[in-house]
Amino acid sequence: MSIRLEQLAKSFGGQPVVKPTSLEVRDGELFVLLGASGSGKSTVLRMVAGLTAPDSGTIRLHERDVTHLPPQERGIGFVFQNYSIFRHMSVGENIEFPLKIRKVPPAERARRREELLDRVGLGGFGNRYAHQLSGGQQQRVALARALVHEPSVLLLDEPFGALDVKIRSQLRRNLREVQQQLGVTAILVTHDQEEGFELADRIGLMERGELLEVGEPEALYARPHTLFGATFLGAGTVLVGRAREGAARIGPLALPIPSEVEHEEDERVRVLVRPEQVEISAAPPERGVRLLGQGTIVERNFLGALRRVRVRMPPIAGTRQAAPAVYGEEGLLIDAVLPAEADMGGPDVWVSLRGWHILAPPQPRLLVCDLPDQGSPAPFPLARALQAPFNAKVSLLAVAGSADGVEPLRAALTERTVAGNLPDAEAVVRRGDPAAEIAAEQRQSLYDFTLFQFPTGGRVEVLMELLESLAAPLLVAQGGPASFRRILICTAVGEPGKADVRVGGWLARRLGAEVTLLHVLPEGAGAAPWVNAHLNAGLATLRALEVPGRSTLRPARTPLQGILAEAAEGGYDLIVLGRHAPQPGERSIRHDVTLQILADSTKSVLIVPPDE
Amino acid sequence: MIGNAPGQRSRAAIPVGLLVLVLLPLILMPIAAVFVFALKGGPGEFWRAFTTEDAQFALRFSLLIAFFTAVINAVLGTWAASVLSKYRFRGERPLAIAINLPVAIPTVVVGTSLLLLWGPIGLFGKMLEPLGLQPMFTPAGVLLAHLFVTFPYMLGSVKPLLDELEVTYEEAAYTLGAGKWQTFRYVILPALRGGLFSGTLLTFAHSLGEFGATVMVSGNLRLRTQTAPLYIFAQFEAGHVAEANAVAAVLAALSFVIFFFLLRYSGGAGNAKR
Repeated sequence: MSIRLEQLAKSFGGQPVVKPTSLEVRDGELFVLLGASGSGKSTVLRMVAGLTAPDSGTIRLHERDVTHLPPQERGIGFVFQNYSIFRHMSVGENIEFPLKIRKVPPAERARRREELLDRVGLGGFGNRYAHQLSGGQQQRVALARALVHEPSVLLLDEPFGALDVKIRSQLRRNLREVQQQLGVTAILVTHDQEEGFELADRIGLMERGELLEVGEPEALYARPHTLFGATFLGAGTVLVGRAREGAARIGPLALPIPSEVEHEEDERVRVLVRPEQVEISAAPPERGVRLLGQGTIVERNFLGALRRVRVRMPPIAGTRQAAPAVYGEEGLLIDAVLPAEADMGGPDVWVSLRGWHILAPPQPRLLVCDLPDQGSPAPFPLARALQAPFNAKVSLLAVAGSADGVEPLRAALTERTVAGNLPDAEAVVRRGDPAAEIAAEQRQSLYDFTLFQFPTGGRVEVLMELLESLAAPLLVAQGGPASFRRILICTAVGEPGKADVRVGGWLARRLGAEVTLLHVLPEGAGAAPWVNAHLNAGLATLRALEVPGRSTLRPARTPLQGILAEAAEGGYDLIVLGRHAPQPGERSIRHDVTLQILADSTKSVLIVPPDE
Repeated sequence: MIGNAPGQRSRAAIPVGLLVLVLLPLILMPIAAVFVFALKGGPGEFWRAFTTEDAQFALRFSLLIAFFTAVINAVLGTWAASVLSKYRFRGERPLAIAINLPVAIPTVVVGTSLLLLWGPIGLFGKMLEPLGLQPMFTPAGVLLAHLFVTFPYMLGSVKPLLDELEVTYEEAAYTLGAGKWQTFRYVILPALRGGLFSGTLLTFAHSLGEFGATVMVSGNLRLRTQTAPLYIFAQFEAGHVAEANAVAAVLAALSFVIFFFLLRYSGGAGNAKR
């Protein structure tokens, strides 16, 4: 291994810029770190070069630990985006500079200088000065200068960022040639995916300080694991359907899920369709083709050899679009590319799929709210109990009242993750109104569950606001030890939805718990047929999830009394409630069933919003 | 649009003539007068006035002070410029203004304040007196005053060049294997060459002609702290016009030489062309 990074991490001003990152780059490989600006890719490169000191982790170059060595002693070459050619030196002097520093004799220096000038295609330019060269020529000089002392590792930071498109592709070819001839291991940082595809032996995809995916360009394009990978590399449509009997259901289609993609029955599945995998036809396609449906062309862009077409299709029940995200769009937008000369007829077309890729299910994410000032410190035991069985990524969120409070709070929060025995948790500090900031964090990072401690001293304002804007399941913790063996799912409150059964069942499966489905009957009345049908459907869902389940009917004067009585008698550890839209006049504990259950019971409660 | 058309050239004759007419008594004639009066008594008389012990001392003392002022401020000014251009800190602007203040303050005021601080009854002077140190009315005092008064010139010449250098300039040198000193010696310093040169000349020239602060702190002691400008003033006051003029002419000639060097380099001072 030429380059080996282990758990390399860096924060600036308490803000993590590079989260613990490990990476191995093979001998002679050209590795491209790809990511948007601010993703931390340049910081990784600067740490490898020794220009930025990491907070933790190790850097090995050719098995030598260089973590604490200055850049001069690392044996690297570095190419900056702005070239940084020394302007008072000629091109030749610039290239000889590293050799002069190393006290190489003049004759040898001249020989190496000429060799490198030839390699980068600048033979005869040795006596020029930077201001006499074009940007592309300056970058060639920078490359020659970075290679002349035969470094073991070449690092390039957006080397072609300041150049125009035509010169870029020329320089890329030249760089690839030189790098392969010299056999030097290289890391190149760029935000340009085309550059990544063209140059890389392997690509590492970075986002928000995390190395999300590593792979060969073609594999990353065809089979990304993450939604970010699917959308950042190349265009495409990501549709979300449900898994049924080993296939992803997208409208009328059942797309087989390959065995290597983990999935659970009835769980959401994300399907990536690249534009070139979409077939557009004016007439209904032949049988045997995977027909998605009919739509209308809303956009056509001529791209030279190809034409990009965007088709809007009416909404399909149970199918949602994750990308491209267009605000206020109810239907599905499918992107396709066709040969420019292809005639796809009028605006109404048939859309079918030639290929697709099923994304791996995302790692579950838990948002743990830490608001000790509001009487709701983070429920650490509960977070720990969920982290391991879910293999979840935990974020600990605190909200500061003022800008000055952010830094001390972040430091305190980081200590609390350690004290709470969640050392891998990420500390997130936001500023503003607690409920609004929790909701915003949920929206931004798509957490699967939000954990919130039921507040002491009756300070339920934040909780009430959270319930009002509920977008993801909210687990309100209270009571004793956090182990879940028996889960009560109440289908009696709110609209009879499937979301509560599905989320509760999913939780039970991961935790190895058993589930009771409860329906509360008005006293003296019998069960209506739809109640049984509803409970049976729920039990079927649980069976599909391989969760032991039973149903129970309980007569009570009010649903609330029924739930509280069952919860008290059955020895349940967790109550799952569906959340309906709040009714007018419910803005108090007395009128909100959810809050009343929380107040009158000592159990933790999971509140599940209905399906979108 | 101005000057190139032949018709306009003839029209320019009147305003240009007027300008020369105004400048004549203001600048050109006084300069000429210095040389005219210096050589009025013939070369022999000039030589006599020039070679008196006092005149020789004053000129040599002035050159010596100017030399040390230039050398010391070249180092101090470059250092200050590098600190100011490298780091971003709170109070950066007030500090930059304070450092440039000596240009704005009348030099006599500078002399007065130095005297008040370092003089026998001054704050520091009082502390130094028991040690037998008395910086005022000594060559060291003159040097101190000159360093203070000319400090901003070096800074002003070097800092723009440093600001213009790319942030990655130093980093590039490090990644190529150069240590901190090598980076300064081979990469940073050469880039500052033009600014260093013009800054040093400016400092030298100003020190050579400095009067206000010098007259306060030197005590104007002949053969001890009397600089050339002070000597000229003293001789004039005593009615020795020939003596005064001989030194004045030499001083003027020296200034011309420096001025022409500066002119030649002012084009290249802003950027580090060869």
